[in-house]
Amino acid sequence: MDFILSQFTGFGSAFAALILDPLTYLYLISSVFLGITFGALPGLTATLAVTILTGFFGNKIPLDYSLIALLGAYVGAIYGGSYPSILLNIPGTAASAATAMDGYPLAKAGRGGEALGLTTTASFIGTLIGTFALLVFVGVLLMISKNIASPEKALLALFGILLSGTLMSEDLVIKGWIAGLIGLAMAMVGLDPLLSEPRYTFGWSYLLSGFQVVPVLMGAFAVPQIIDGLRHAKAGKMVALQGRIMPNIAAIKRYLPTIGRSGLIGTGVGALPGVGEDVAGWVSYGVGKTVSKDGANFGKGSLEGLLSSETANNACIGGALIPLLVLGIPGSPPAAALMGAFMINNVVPGPTIDPNIILRIAAILVLASLTMFLMGLFTARIFISILKIPRTVFLPVVMVLTTIGSFSVGGGINDLYLMLGVGFVAYFMNMLKFPIAPLVIGVILGGLFDETFRRTLLISDGDLAAFVTRPGAAILLGLNIALILSQFPLTKRLFSRLLRRSN
Amino acid sequence: MPERDSKNQLRARDFWASLLLIGLSIFFLWKTTSIPLFGGNRAGVSGADWYNSAAIVPFGIFGGMLVLSVVLLVIAIRSGGAKIAFSATGIGWNPDEAFRFTSVGIIIFFYVTGLVPRVDFILNSGLLITSLIFGFYGGYRWRAFLAAAMVALPGLYALIAHLPQSEWGALDDDWVTLGFWVGLTVVVIFKSKTERVCRAIPVIAVLIPVILVIAMAFGFRQNVPARTGLLFKQIEYHYYVTLRPLWRD
Repeated sequence: MDFILSQFTGFGSAFAALILDPLTYLYLISSVFLGITFGALPGLTATLAVTILTGFFGNKIPLDYSLIALLGAYVGAIYGGSYPSILLNIPGTAASAATAMDGYPLAKAGRGGEALGLTTTASFIGTLIGTFALLVFVGVLLMISKNIASPEKALLALFGILLSGTLMSEDLVIKGWIAGLIGLAMAMVGLDPLLSEPRYTFGWSYLLSGFQVVPVLMGAFAVPQIIDGLRHAKAGKMVALQGRIMPNIAAIKRYLPTIGRSGLIGTGVGALPGVGEDVAGWVSYGVGKTVSKDGANFGKGSLEGLLSSETANNACIGGALIPLLVLGIPGSPPAAALMGAFMINNVVPGPTIDPNIILRIAAILVLASLTMFLMGLFTARIFISILKIPRTVFLPVVMVLTTIGSFSVGGGINDLYLMLGVGFVAYFMNMLKFPIAPLVIGVILGGLFDETFRRTLLISDGDLAAFVTRPGAAILLGLNIALILSQFPLTKRLFSRLLRRSN
Repeated sequence: MPERDSKNQLRARDFWASLLLIGLSIFFLWKTTSIPLFGGNRAGVSGADWYNSAAIVPFGIFGGMLVLSVVLLVIAIRSGGAKIAFSATGIGWNPDEAFRFTSVGIIIFFYVTGLVPRVDFILNSGLLITSLIFGFYGGYRWRAFLAAAMVALPGLYALIAHLPQSEWGALDDDWVTLGFWVGLTVVVIFKSKTERVCRAIPVIAVLIPVILVIAMAFGFRQNVPARTGLLFKQIEYHYYVTLRPLWRD
């Protein structure tokens, strides 16, 4: 209890420091606005928003302000995806794909204003739920994580990559695992972390320091979107917004249980390593459909359905930051971009992170969600007019932003070549339905996996039993094996047979 | 396209992808053998034991990738991917899509490799924005072709004329790029009588790169590409010599 009290006291101080600094508002308002714009424009994603801003603000302004810019954009973009979902039936981001199921029918029925107002409120409450969980659980987990040593770290990194590969694959799971392995392989380039042995540099001195995170992020998330989006598309037919956006207090009270449940689901899914807001939205939507009395109307314009996905995807933000800050394992693709910002500022997320950074992040999330809430209610019409901009007009601008952002992070022209190479590979991977998120998670966690795996073997004189003798490591090894086995057809058949028998 | 057909097409592509991945895995496994594994000797210094070798994790990664690629190949063959792998429909060859990808690919490639390192950033980004918006808005094939040519030609010139880094400061390629940009803008302005979007293109193409470069160089004090470029050199000179003394003094 004392610990929780001290967390909230620290949060209060961080919050006060933030609101007393006038520069906070400059970064906050501009980044949330940019984030909502990115989310609202179909073809741009929350990950892209955070990635591009990492290129711009990552190491050019003090970390405190760059965190405001990046988290503001993250919160704004996840929420912004709801605009085209509701008004155009086109999800602005993958995270708001489930929102379109009920949002568009509601808008067609003349309840677009009500849907937008409730979505804004639910996203606000969802972000607060995630932030509350972040404040409470990060501290507890940080205390536990002090006992985590090399074997656990190696197995956790592997688990993060495997889980991301499993859950982010829209086709075969094996493709997600291959993408994760490609990411791990990319992380092997350069001097190895223990013996400084050069690996796969092909005589190019730039590669000695390994693949830089920001160009890889830009290449993986921006370039394929640009290549794929530059095509003529007839503008979607926008439903005219009817009704007032300001939410009704009675309606909010009525849907509070749905919002609370979805917030918890979103936070939980976000806390899983490498799983993003889109999965959170769908899981919450699925659970809502099963447990809600209104389940039969999901997909036909149900407010409960709309709120189930919209609350969860915003609550996922706080959840996704838990593994990032405690273990250095990003909980979602935008969190991976955020990790890139930490890395270029020489801040190592994990058990040794400064607790004040966590408190400040929680304070920024609360302020960002409040800004998003106010902007959503009072400036919604601006974002609706942004929906009319064709993607062939804004994507070229994104290409220029990506180029200068990637160039200025540090590596110069070589970073641009790397971005281009990764971008073309990622485009073809997208085309072949290989997920990109596990690749990026692999690049980010590859160094950690390599170092901790070999350190474990070094300390144990090559005894592989070191991965089983420690209880934490044994549990994680079991989880890794179970995750792999669960995808085998034989195991799947066995499980379904057992389920049938038990029924 | 019916779901079944797109699934078949995906498996045909998986067939080729798995073959490529198998090849890459084998190549990198071979490449990994050059890293000492069993206490190899480097420059007279004895290496580490096998369990601490820099090769152990890469062997695991590429070994794992080889196994998974073989599994993907088996899945692709069993699902009928191999049978249609050689047909155009199997691969999903679409001439329009191939043309679109090639044009975008050419533009981005020459922009990043040819123009950005050698030509003023405002000029090359202005040209890029003009080409991409004009080339791909509306879905006209001739416009995409023209756009690709307008970036590829100055990009190719910059690459051929000033390949080594020591020559990146030369200005002739800046003039060539400016010429192509102005030429394309004339076409855009001509088209703006019938297309509203074309009216906005020159404004976006000038404003965005100028604002970005000024914000980056003088706001964030960061490096920008081609600092000795035709326009940036002037901007930088007047910032430090004409403008800055106004508030510094």
